[in-house]
Amino acid sequence: MIDGTFAALRDQLTQAAETFAEAPDTVSEILTGIVDDVDRGMAERLEIFPVCHHSPASALAMARRLRQKQPKVIYLELCEDLRPLLTELRNCRLPVALQAFAGEIEGFPPDWGPLSVVAPITEASAEYQAIAYALDTPGVELVLVDRSADHVFQWLPRDDSEETTEPEAGGGDPDEDAGMHGDAVGVEIGDLRPRFRELEGHLLHHGKVRHWSEWWDLYVEQPLAGADYATYRQVMMLIGSLFRRLTPVGDRRLRTDEDRERYMWTRIREHFGKAGVEADDCMYVCGAAHAASRVEQFGLDSTAGFDITPPSGSNWLYGLIPSSHSSIEAQFGLAGGSVSIAAASWEKALKASGLTPFRLSGQKGGKPRKVKPVPADPVSGDANRLSGFLSTPPATRELDEAELLAWSVDIVRLARKNGYLSSTADAIAVFETSILLAGMRNRARPTPYDFQDAAVTCIEKDTVPGRRDVRRLCEILLGGDRVGQVGYEALPPLAQDVYDRLKPLGIDLRKRTVQRVLIDLSAEPQKRQGSRLLWTLRHLLPSDSVRPIMGVKKLGEESLQESWDVSIGSRQRDLIELGYEGVTVEQVLEQRLRRKVWSPDATAAIALRAVEDSILYLGSRRFTNELGARAIDLLKAERTVDDAPEVLRRIRALVAYYRSVDPKLPEWAETFVTTGYAHYCTLLPTAFTDEQTGLRQVGAMLGFLFTMESVAIALGCDRTQLELAVKQSHPETPAKLALRWAAQFQLSQLPMSGLRERCDDLLGNPLVLPSFPQYLSGFIQALDPVPTLTPFVVELLSKAFGRLPDTVLLPWLPNLITTLRANAAELVPVLVREAGRTFPGNLAGVDTWTPPWSIPDTPREAVTVAPSGPVTELAVRHSTAAQAIAAALGHDPAMPEFTPGAAGGSADAAPEVAALVARHPDSATATAAVLGVAG
Amino acid sequence: MNEMLRAPAEVKYAEELEWLESIDDGPKPFTWRLSPRMVRLFILGSERSDGLDREVSQKWFGDRSFVERSIVTLASDRGLLLIGDPGTGKSWLAELLSAAICRNSTLVVQGTAGTTEDHIKYSWNVSMVIAKGQSRDSMIPSPIMTAMEAGVIGRFEELTRSTSDVQDALISILSEKYVSIPELDDDNIVFAKPGFSIIATANSRDKGVNDLSSALKRRFNFVRIPVVSNKKSETEIVRFRTEELLRRHRIELDVPPNLLDILLQSFADLRAAAASATSDDDKLESALSTAEQIGVLEDAILHSNFFGDSTLRAATLAGSLVGSLARRSPEDLAILNKYLHGVVEPRSKKDGGEWPDFLEGGRQAIATLS
Repeated sequence: MIDGTFAALRDQLTQAAETFAEAPDTVSEILTGIVDDVDRGMAERLEIFPVCHHSPASALAMARRLRQKQPKVIYLELCEDLRPLLTELRNCRLPVALQAFAGEIEGFPPDWGPLSVVAPITEASAEYQAIAYALDTPGVELVLVDRSADHVFQWLPRDDSEETTEPEAGGGDPDEDAGMHGDAVGVEIGDLRPRFRELEGHLLHHGKVRHWSEWWDLYVEQPLAGADYATYRQVMMLIGSLFRRLTPVGDRRLRTDEDRERYMWTRIREHFGKAGVEADDCMYVCGAAHAASRVEQFGLDSTAGFDITPPSGSNWLYGLIPSSHSSIEAQFGLAGGSVSIAAASWEKALKASGLTPFRLSGQKGGKPRKVKPVPADPVSGDANRLSGFLSTPPATRELDEAELLAWSVDIVRLARKNGYLSSTADAIAVFETSILLAGMRNRARPTPYDFQDAAVTCIEKDTVPGRRDVRRLCEILLGGDRVGQVGYEALPPLAQDVYDRLKPLGIDLRKRTVQRVLIDLSAEPQKRQGSRLLWTLRHLLPSDSVRPIMGVKKLGEESLQESWDVSIGSRQRDLIELGYEGVTVEQVLEQRLRRKVWSPDATAAIALRAVEDSILYLGSRRFTNELGARAIDLLKAERTVDDAPEVLRRIRALVAYYRSVDPKLPEWAETFVTTGYAHYCTLLPTAFTDEQTGLRQVGAMLGFLFTMESVAIALGCDRTQLELAVKQSHPETPAKLALRWAAQFQLSQLPMSGLRERCDDLLGNPLVLPSFPQYLSGFIQALDPVPTLTPFVVELLSKAFGRLPDTVLLPWLPNLITTLRANAAELVPVLVREAGRTFPGNLAGVDTWTPPWSIPDTPREAVTVAPSGPVTELAVRHSTAAQAIAAALGHDPAMPEFTPGAAGGSADAAPEVAALVARHPDSATATAAVLGVAG
Repeated sequence: MNEMLRAPAEVKYAEELEWLESIDDGPKPFTWRLSPRMVRLFILGSERSDGLDREVSQKWFGDRSFVERSIVTLASDRGLLLIGDPGTGKSWLAELLSAAICRNSTLVVQGTAGTTEDHIKYSWNVSMVIAKGQSRDSMIPSPIMTAMEAGVIGRFEELTRSTSDVQDALISILSEKYVSIPELDDDNIVFAKPGFSIIATANSRDKGVNDLSSALKRRFNFVRIPVVSNKKSETEIVRFRTEELLRRHRIELDVPPNLLDILLQSFADLRAAAASATSDDDKLESALSTAEQIGVLEDAILHSNFFGDSTLRAATLAGSLVGSLARRSPEDLAILNKYLHGVVEPRSKKDGGEWPDFLEGGRQAIATLS
């Protein structure tokens, strides 16, 4: 314990509180409290290393301290279950993010899934220094002590009133790389930002800066960059404690933070007890706010316990995903460009200090080196450095003229590249304005943000000529976005498999550019597998990572040549997250399809789609049959016909496909057709009368019944069922009535003449004329199920256009157009073809043209067909009884004269046949001989 | 001073400027009367942390960086072009800057389609030329030339309203910093003294009418002033300007805070609607700037004072709002009608307060105009 180290500072602060504050008790409590916190943090026998995120000063101090102390055990504030991933970092190009992902969740609200936690790692960070040192130095153990990813979600509030981090203003438009983390929850080491909105506002206002990152850089980062270790530690602890103590009472994040501290100290003590190391050989790296913790569990000597709840049953998977500076800024609400500026400052600080940073072997510039011990700071770490730091104004760095000049020249060059009319005069103006602006803001040295303001003032005019404005150009100039990449070895098995299988196509997925692949399947059939994989990826990946430029994949269609744009290299995350679902893309697809058809909201249409997908991408007959069987079950269970059009479209395509590859339909398809036939027959009467059921749905049902009829009847269905169903249907709306007439026509229950007569009556009746367009709509829907009706529909349309008054016709036209548009593929070709056949093809023809329906029917000579068969014979034989029955039924009892026996099939029954046989006697004799009938 | 309907900023704040000058010990560029930091303080007001004996009120409301960028531009050798929608306070900022820097904000050229090069350079007193011939005495210097001679700030309002050839007369003034008078044999060059600069304003709605040439653009630093969308700043501006207005008209009238809220809220709604509009017909012709809000309020106040019972009512406010914003018939009226029925009506049912009155007033005004 270092009693009295900070006594003088404590007194000074108490006095200040008494002098300035209106209520000195509270202020002095806070002020002396923060000194106490620093005191406690410094006195802990486990060395606490406070860090701040994306702080080059922290990273520098860490690199120096690790060399001085060479600890054997490092405890790091990072989710403990991410530990195995760290070794994979050496295969990646930073920044990347460690990810924990749970697709199957248990114990959490179902709408939370999938759960995802990301912890981005950048090179200019203290934690990376610690990780690189620990992993590359033999005998050093790295222990992650923070709560697991599961606990991150366990500790989240279950209601929706969760506060979110507000992004700092001035970030500009988000870049395309800014969304690389998706909607994962971000965790990071050393979150250090006031939780008290007014405090942050106050600091920004009086610091004459716009962003928190700028304030931090100016007032903490720069003064600490060259500070000795003791000063660094004390100042960071002080700031951490200040922000903590000024957090509003009851803040949820503070409560979570305290629980995390309890968790971390519990884990540290557990490990420390087991490992049997000296406290002097250990180091605890945590955010500055945690260094100033006041929880009971704080310290190696504490005995307070903390119950760590068991993990939920969720299945967590781990991997690395690429990250970028802009994603980190977007995720953690930092000012645009701040992480890039931090990275640039880190590089510069390294150059200035001559320090060699730790880098993981396997990464650029990283090779295992023996860490040479560096002598410790001459002044004891226990001395009070705070008083000096707080009482002296921050040592403002002098103007770095060369740097500013370089920036000014470069921004003008960059602006010119981007379409601005900037010149050397602008470079001079930017240089001058930067200095003037910094002067106005009490700084001797313009910050990057001052420079940015100056550049905008001098170069930005009334319009932005290109894609990027000057503000964005400045961000690019001052560091630019850096995008990380996960190396092959660190990828999940699925992604590795994809990389391997795409190699024969000549795709190098290490490149971040979009790669064009040309596949000539007729010349190189061996590439068929690669093509199928690309199609599967296209189906599975959410974004445009894989995009076909030429070529299609449809049932029964194969492309001879394909052309693809592949950008998996720059969108690795999608592929990696796919890797959490299975070992190969085929397995993932199978699982997804299975999930889809077994989900509670699955429908027959969804199942048919899954069947189609399985045929296209998987080609497994067993699996397809399984999905087909499920489709049958779903269809049987359906009580509405909303999906009928979709079901019809898909089953029609599937039946056509199967017929093209195999004469026999698979069993499931046969069952589906027969089930569907019976199912839709049953539902037809209800659908006709139900107001909720649309015309299109009824049309599609009829379409199914009529077009699948031949298959269904061949498989044992009975047409009577359909006839009865149509008879039972009593629609009330004109459109459905028209549809029923069409059905009756198809079933020969209504002749064309009858249909025409009905429609002509409608047109002739002024009372029903206004509803005529609705009948037309019904007939148009009937085009698909009853194609033979097409000439009649064309006739009706012509009549409607000719005879309906404009007041009736015009309001209906948009309806006609939208209907035709919506079902263009099925309706328009037949209609156009028929219209082409009906109407004259040239202008001259129009004058002499008479519509075919206006030409009076020339009566053809009636052919008397003698009824024959056993029934006729019976009736003739017992003519009296037949006549009595006929009279009872109200028919004319007079019977035509028939000669019994004439119906037996003799030549007399059909004079044409007899004449034909007489003309070609040889053929007739030969045929009779073949049939085994006596000539 | 009491004789003036509207005193320029340097007269209105003369005493404050004197005081600031007396305590200013910062470095001053050229012949500036105040140092840049003091200019900023004059415009943006003082805070406790500035440690001044008296409070300096805030006169222009907006992002601090705009003011800072404007000041440093004037301290460099480039002209300042304030660009923005009508009513965003460009001219007011220009006036305050000139008043603070050189105590003279009245050297103004107003750009119009009829502005000629003479208005920028010089013209001649024809009678004197006939009597005495061309000489410096018979020459009438333009405000810009006067500013050059005195080493102060000259202002050019609505630069983009004047034609391109007139605008280009500024190029040589801004680069060479002198104007030659070829008509005279001697003493024929007017050199700008240190401290001379130009503040021009341009309306972004006029874009494309008379675009600035690249050469002129290069000589100006552009500072774009956005429409104030921050509710707090906007309330401050409206309150500040209204008080000034009431004082000027010597009107004793109270502006109830809830009516101020209604005004701000309705403008915020209309702006949101304009932002989501897909064509010009779907949005009001007005830029819905803060100045328009002040205009609406002023109109309502004057109406209540002279034709009402000296109490500002929501219905009067709604009438003024419709009257000021409905410029095109039927487009603007249709938008306002939609706003009243789609937004105000549900709100007046839900929130009550002054909203039903506001709705009724608006309806009546639309009915009168339709």
